[in-house]
Amino acid sequence: MTSLEEARSLLREFPVVDGHNDLPWALRKIGYDLDARDISRHQNAHLHTDIPRLREGGVGAQYWSVYVRSDLPDAVPATLEQIDCVRQLLARHPADLAPALTAADMEQARRDGRIASLMGAEGGHSINCSLGTLRGLYELGVRYMTLTHNDNNPWADSATDEPNVGGLSAFGREVVREMNRLGMLVDLSHVAATTMRDALDTTSAPVIFSHSSARAVCDHPRNIPDDVLERLPGNGGVAMVTFVPKFVLQAAVDWTLAADENLRAHGFHHLDTSPEAMKLHRAFEERTPRPVATVSTVADHLDHMREVAGVDHLGIGGDYDGTAFTPDGLGDVSGYPNLIAELLDRGWSKTDLAKVTWQNSVRVLGAAEDVARELRATRPVSNATIESLDGREG
Amino acid sequence: MADLQDELHTTGGLDAVPDLFEDEPRAPVGDPDGTQLERARAVLAAHPVADGYSGLPWALRHLHWYDLELGESSVDTDVPRLRAGHVGALFWSLHLPEGIVRDRAVGATLEQLDLVKSVVGAHPDGLRLVCTAGQATDARHCGRIAVLLGPAQAAALDDSLGVLRALHSLGLRVLTLTGVSWAGQTGLTRFGEEVVREMNRLGVLADLSGASTDTVARVLAVSRAPVLFTRSAARALRPHPANLPDDLLAGLGAAKGLCMVPLTPEQTGPSVRAVADHLDHVREVAGPECVGLSGTFDAGTAHPQDLADASRYPHLIAELLHRGWTESQIALLTWGNVQRVLRGADFTARAAQQRRQPSTARIADLDG
Repeated sequence: MTSLEEARSLLREFPVVDGHNDLPWALRKIGYDLDARDISRHQNAHLHTDIPRLREGGVGAQYWSVYVRSDLPDAVPATLEQIDCVRQLLARHPADLAPALTAADMEQARRDGRIASLMGAEGGHSINCSLGTLRGLYELGVRYMTLTHNDNNPWADSATDEPNVGGLSAFGREVVREMNRLGMLVDLSHVAATTMRDALDTTSAPVIFSHSSARAVCDHPRNIPDDVLERLPGNGGVAMVTFVPKFVLQAAVDWTLAADENLRAHGFHHLDTSPEAMKLHRAFEERTPRPVATVSTVADHLDHMREVAGVDHLGIGGDYDGTAFTPDGLGDVSGYPNLIAELLDRGWSKTDLAKVTWQNSVRVLGAAEDVARELRATRPVSNATIESLDGREG
Repeated sequence: MADLQDELHTTGGLDAVPDLFEDEPRAPVGDPDGTQLERARAVLAAHPVADGYSGLPWALRHLHWYDLELGESSVDTDVPRLRAGHVGALFWSLHLPEGIVRDRAVGATLEQLDLVKSVVGAHPDGLRLVCTAGQATDARHCGRIAVLLGPAQAAALDDSLGVLRALHSLGLRVLTLTGVSWAGQTGLTRFGEEVVREMNRLGVLADLSGASTDTVARVLAVSRAPVLFTRSAARALRPHPANLPDDLLAGLGAAKGLCMVPLTPEQTGPSVRAVADHLDHVREVAGPECVGLSGTFDAGTAHPQDLADASRYPHLIAELLHRGWTESQIALLTWGNVQRVLRGADFTARAAQQRRQPSTARIADLDG
């Protein structure tokens, strides 16, 4: 049996729990026209994600990101629309996608041969500094919240913004405690290392990194420093390795910096995707070929993360449909078997791989539920405000 | 007793079962020799009030250290007074103060929904959150006062049908169609019509108190589910803008909607008799199956003499008995009509879901 066949066979028993997929955002960009992007058929021309390729990739559970932009005032209503989109997808594909809110739901979906579908909110801006809104999102099914996206929010610093409150503010710590009480996982992807450490100091439940890799392997702020990885065994959490080339491959990091600089030098914002900006970008790419990450690049991260955090604290978060580029061999959601095959070739045991693909991520949600059950008995609902805790407007 | 009832998990499964008991003929429960007030209490014991509007959520928002179970003097509504008044169900308003609009209205409405849930959760012996007619009846059979979520303001949608669906799944059942571009003085826009159709598909009732004449006319034409006026009396008796002229009351009667008369002096007059005059008038013009009650307590308004809080309903019912209302008419007024309208919303929703997908319409597409 080739290692790829072996990987597929392993995934049939212990499928992938993926921590982050931006399909809802991709659908939002086309006005949620779910008929135009029927994911029960191949959508290779438009998306990284559809049901046939999820099946091919051995995905057994997916956290659908209900990401919305952090630079507009409509984050709360937009997040509700994203949640509504996920619910519509689940209603349309009941044979393939199983609504899941708990670890038990995930296991049931695995037994039924369906893809457990969970939701994660990407950025504290989605609650607009309101714990009542946080509880609303929980009730609507959101089971993790990334504390920030690319920008700071008033109570937490982002990895890709200037230091502001120096990690978590007092209100930020209260958000973490209320998430613990609810049983919503605290997601530390995207946040500053200071925020990671503050959150680990505050939380009484395991945390996740829904899509982050190792900073020691590739020095990018979106990745996790070793001192934080080292704390995962004590916390019980899971770091879900991401594939995004500009985070995992040093040459791609450097290339992206140069490409961004090129856009800025011509007076554009580095995230501008207007035709003029794209034209400049393509010209740059012709002059300077884009470095390509591979399955091996991602495996290097997992090797390191296993060494530092231990195999019980690893998972996978592809960030499909949330990134323009993908590594060779991991071009869309059908690619996971290639990564598992690579790890088999590197000598990872099947027992360890079952932890990485399925068991760790299911365990962490179950542990958050256990903590919530205890906290709900002892801790009252928090209605703290940012004004009362941080002494200023949110 | 309460402990025993805690063990009864009767809520699920009953939603879909029509409440057969309601339609059975009942022997009069009133004692013909007693006073009208005693008769009123007896009738209300069998047919409690389903109150169309309570401002309690906003009143509680900034109140600390309260207890509705034991009695709370800082508000007009608490469990002892609801029980004394024979209130069996209440619509808890999620209306916001003026000036909270767009994305802030969505967030504030989520906070109000959250607050209602934690208040109801903190009073499990007195209150129970319900979403359907069947659940309301079930709560009553378990000795609990049913709390329904709504009305919320149309602004709470931020012009988004996705937000409407999210709020519905959080329990919202009534939406007031005023104060937005798609339901204004000139009636419903195309997007407004789509909102009403989506409300029908979900089972969210339209509240038209305060809506423009054109909006009312258009909603009555478009909506397949019965509509509510959660706070409207008779304009023939009192010229308040939210009160309904006779032609509209007649139209409401034909559409089998529900006019819920508020207990506020501005809209009905300062006495029990003034309120009864409005109830008489609405019954006459719209019909006995189209009239209801709306305490409007804790909503920042004054109340008629002798109707100062939720415990005073028997005084109003006694006046109606005195005026010759039959027990079956009172049963419709207090409980039956609200049950019918809630059930109508559910039936409409079930039928609509067979033939309509969730609407992806956006206001920019339809209203330009």
